[in-house]
Amino acid sequence: MALLPISATFDGDLVSLLVAVDDEDTADVVAQKIAHHVVGRRVAPRNAPVRLRVGGQVIDKDQVFRTIPAAPLDHVEAFFDE
Amino acid sequence: MPRLSRSDWYDLSRDTNWTFRYVTEDAVFPEELSGSHRVGKQQWLAWDEPYKVSYREYVHNQVTKDTTTYSLKNAISRSKVFDELDPGWKSVILAHYGAITMPEYLASIGEARMARFGRAAAWRNTATFGALDEVRHGQIQAFFPYGLLEKEPRGDWALKAFHTNNWIAIAVRQLFDDMFVANDAVSIALQLTFTLETGFTNLQFLGMAADAIDVGDLEFGALISSIQTDEARHAQQGEPTIKVLIDNGHKAWGQFLIDHMFWRSWRAFALLTGLSMDYYTPLESRKMSFREFIEDWVIKQFAEQFRDYGLDFPWYWDEFVRELTWYHHAIHTVVWNWRPTVWWNPDAGVSPAEREWLEEKYPGWNRTFGRHWDVITENVRTGNIAATFPETLPLACNICQLPIVRAAGVLAGAHTDPAPLRHVHEGRLYLFCSEPCKWIFTQRPDRFKGHKSIVDRFLTGEISPPDVGGILAYMGLSEPEQGQDATGYAWANGG
Ligand SMILES: [Fe+2]
Ligand SMILES: [Fe+2]
Repeated sequence: MALLPISATFDGDLVSLLVAVDDEDTADVVAQKIAHHVVGRRVAPRNAPVRLRVGGQVIDKDQVFRTIPAAPLDHVEAFFDE
Repeated sequence: MPRLSRSDWYDLSRDTNWTFRYVTEDAVFPEELSGSHRVGKQQWLAWDEPYKVSYREYVHNQVTKDTTTYSLKNAISRSKVFDELDPGWKSVILAHYGAITMPEYLASIGEARMARFGRAAAWRNTATFGALDEVRHGQIQAFFPYGLLEKEPRGDWALKAFHTNNWIAIAVRQLFDDMFVANDAVSIALQLTFTLETGFTNLQFLGMAADAIDVGDLEFGALISSIQTDEARHAQQGEPTIKVLIDNGHKAWGQFLIDHMFWRSWRAFALLTGLSMDYYTPLESRKMSFREFIEDWVIKQFAEQFRDYGLDFPWYWDEFVRELTWYHHAIHTVVWNWRPTVWWNPDAGVSPAEREWLEEKYPGWNRTFGRHWDVITENVRTGNIAATFPETLPLACNICQLPIVRAAGVLAGAHTDPAPLRHVHEGRLYLFCSEPCKWIFTQRPDRFKGHKSIVDRFLTGEISPPDVGGILAYMGLSEPEQGQDATGYAWANGG
């Protein structure tokens, strides 16, 4: 368990955010943590699951974040999977 | 005794160069402070200022300006003029005083450096007036907001901002340290006077003075006009300096310094002037959009300057021109969302009528930026104000120190990847908002590597507790000083 600050954007938003995640979080949890700062704030909610993309690759929602692998301030994108 | 006309004695009294016998030229003009050694001592003597003034004339002019401006202020301060100003305009002047007053004062150090380390006596003479100008600009822009304190306590940010770690203050301080406080005489002439003053601020001050009169702020209008006339004079140190460099085969160095500072000036302008012109100035007083201002004034003038001196447009020119359609809109939304972190009240500026204006001036604005404001407006209408405040920091660029908004560039079709640009130097990771900011860093990393952005400070534990309260305290903002929506959300409930 270790705190990991990442660079994150949510598809449709306009700014890169500093988001604190845990390296044991699953991709699904990381996606939710990013969505928390954006969806319903600057991006309208949608009835669709939120997924994670790293370096253009969509990450399996159950994958543990540190196994991606992820280093501090790596950039990840969350998006509505429709 | 007959009085001589100025042209009979001016050159003689001005050209006080002499040959050093007890010290070397290098000891008098260390390269670090002078930046002039690419060109020989004799060649510098060709330096000639286009606008000539004697000390007697200078003092006479300045006293007249001060007398007029201060007496206007005294007359107005007893009236209700400030109370009746548009709330967005009040934000324009509060932002201006906090961000600009101390840099004006610090610019006197830059001018004084040219007055001491410039290689031609003519240049040192002109810069001496410049140093006196900037002391005046620092003082007058501290005194005017001091007069507002009873009505607007945050007028004290004219002095306070630079003594805090507010993120805007960090950005402005880092910029002006680079531009003149920690710069050599030649670079100051090209970067402060040729690029920033001639290229941007002189034009902006003309526009701002006209806007001030239009919204009924005679006090600020008079202040800005009085400063602009000084600037028009001392800004002319850039042209003779670039001319000496080019005539002696050093165009490439001049071009590099200008390319470096044009981008940085653009970033600062997008933040301060972009928001003021397109969102804070009341709709009925807007004469042109920020984009039109940059295109019709700044670009036009730079194009002439570049042509006159045989300079090239900076290598990133296309990226700059594309940014005119989107960059400052993204910064505006971020500043409004993070409004508790600034010392003025950001005006959302997105009432139905204002959105119509934005769409007309920036076709596609509703599709690109309006949709964020749709969500925000809905939250305001349903009373979910909490959702309009952030719970984390945006990432900051390690050069311009502004939020990284490449994601907005993706929405605007200017970028394909929202990720910040990255560079590792001596084991440390740096993030950038754009290729030009990254280029500025990698060209001279020693100049910038020691600086920490607000995000670096947060991550290295300098801000405690590491939460929103800790961040606001670190930025020097007590609760009553924190920015609020300028109009109490009137824009959301109007349509
Ligand atoms: Fe000035
Ligand atoms: Fe930048």
